[in-house]
Amino acid sequence: MSALLQVSGLEVAYGPVRAVRGVDLEVHQGEIRAILGANGAGKSSIIRAIMGLVKPRGGTVAFGGRALHKLLPHKVNGWGIAWVPEGRQVFSTLTVEENLLMGAFGRRHDQATDARQEQVMDMFPTLRERRKQLAGSLSGGEQQMLAIGRALMSNPRLLLMDEPSLGLAPKVVRFLFDLALEIRARGISILMAEQNARQALRVADYAYLLEVGEIRGGGSAREMEASETIRRVYLGG
Amino acid sequence: MEQFVQQLVNGIMAGSTYAVVALGFGLVFSVMRVVNLAHPEIFMIGAYVAFLVISGLHVPGEGLNVLAAVALFFGVLLVAMLATGAAGLVLERLVIRPTRGTYILTPFIATAGVSIALQNSAQRLFGPDPVRVPSVIPPHTFTLGGVRVTSMQLATFLTAVAIMLALRYYVHSTRWGRATRAVAEKPDVAAACGVNVNLVSQLTVGIASIMAGAAGVALGLLYTSAAPFMGLLYGLKSFICMLVAGNRHIEAIMAVGLLLGVVEAMVTGYISSNLRDAVAFALLLAVLFFRPQGLFGSYEV
Repeated sequence: MSALLQVSGLEVAYGPVRAVRGVDLEVHQGEIRAILGANGAGKSSIIRAIMGLVKPRGGTVAFGGRALHKLLPHKVNGWGIAWVPEGRQVFSTLTVEENLLMGAFGRRHDQATDARQEQVMDMFPTLRERRKQLAGSLSGGEQQMLAIGRALMSNPRLLLMDEPSLGLAPKVVRFLFDLALEIRARGISILMAEQNARQALRVADYAYLLEVGEIRGGGSAREMEASETIRRVYLGG
Repeated sequence: MEQFVQQLVNGIMAGSTYAVVALGFGLVFSVMRVVNLAHPEIFMIGAYVAFLVISGLHVPGEGLNVLAAVALFFGVLLVAMLATGAAGLVLERLVIRPTRGTYILTPFIATAGVSIALQNSAQRLFGPDPVRVPSVIPPHTFTLGGVRVTSMQLATFLTAVAIMLALRYYVHSTRWGRATRAVAEKPDVAAACGVNVNLVSQLTVGIASIMAGAAGVALGLLYTSAAPFMGLLYGLKSFICMLVAGNRHIEAIMAVGLLLGVVEAMVTGYISSNLRDAVAFALLLAVLFFRPQGLFGSYEV
């Protein structure tokens, strides 16, 4: 069965700096895949290249068989990929509700949109409480929920999550990763970039190891958890 | 006391046009991080369009009944807004979009070039001296409690208020207005939500240009003249309004525009009319010294 997302030979460079070197990865329908790696390994660059926010210097990105790597981000969103950026990045001068509506901007505003907004607020009751509040006044954890809710509003087939655990308390982090399982249960595939290997491997089906822009290894979550290198470097023994 | 209120009213009338032009500057800057130095020249184009339409129609100038006058006023406004809107779209596509990016000076310089080109074209087409724009609004002075307001002042003020209300409605209550606010804050995230950022840029410059054009018509009619370099001083003062207000809230720019008009009127009335133009610069210096992020705060650039 061919993959939902297929990245081949991806090259991303910023001037003379090659941030992503010949990366191959894929995500199958209904999977959660993780890209593990330290700060600066190039995880965000891969995510941004898939989203069309940075033009790759080489390689291809295919989604459902369609070549995406030359498209602008709003078109990529239109084909069914949504982005949960690193550091939340909610629109702080817009209300919670307006943020959610922005997530659905690529679609007509109709009953389905309203229904989805209700679904998202069922998933995150505190967002319903704070719907008229400015997003900038929310706590870090609430903003992360809003960022995820916003991404879900476009009814994506693939969710790109960039470092969802960054800067959040352990209890919130656990909740978020449980949420990833719930999202997968609804038929949405996830590609996440994470430094927190322990949590990522708890929920992922498959993980890649990224070091200095190159994929150094990959395998099922169980295999990765068992590997010596991973245990030593990323899971602390 | 009576003089105070009179000057206050004069100031608010004049300040409303500063506010409209400043809003155009502020809109483009906050959404696109671009200082469009050609914006005052678009204002100038508005005034010249009014001149062309009115003198082209060979309108008598006086002796029109009120209904015809109002219709003509709106007609001229509409034509000018279409013309300046189109000019803005062309400017965005040809000059602003290619030079937009991380370095803030490139579009600054490019639009400065356009501004100079437009000034010189106007000079070539219409001559260096101001042309007379026949006023279409029948001159009438309303007196309310000792305060005098001319019909043209009122027309200008009402036009400005209508424009500002329309802009506010657009930004806060429409889908694209919401998208514009999102792009102003985080363009990458907005793009990933499905917003065509290039389209929002076009819309934004188009709207700002329409506003400048309308202000140009109002001012051309108010002072019954259009001149090639009228954009310079006006644009500079409006730009100062934008700097003083900060780019966080639209309302702030409106308030500062009105404030500038009022302070100028007070200085003209109580001290000396020669000092009027200095007010804006004094205000700018004061704000730069004490509150450089603007009176009402800004986003980082």
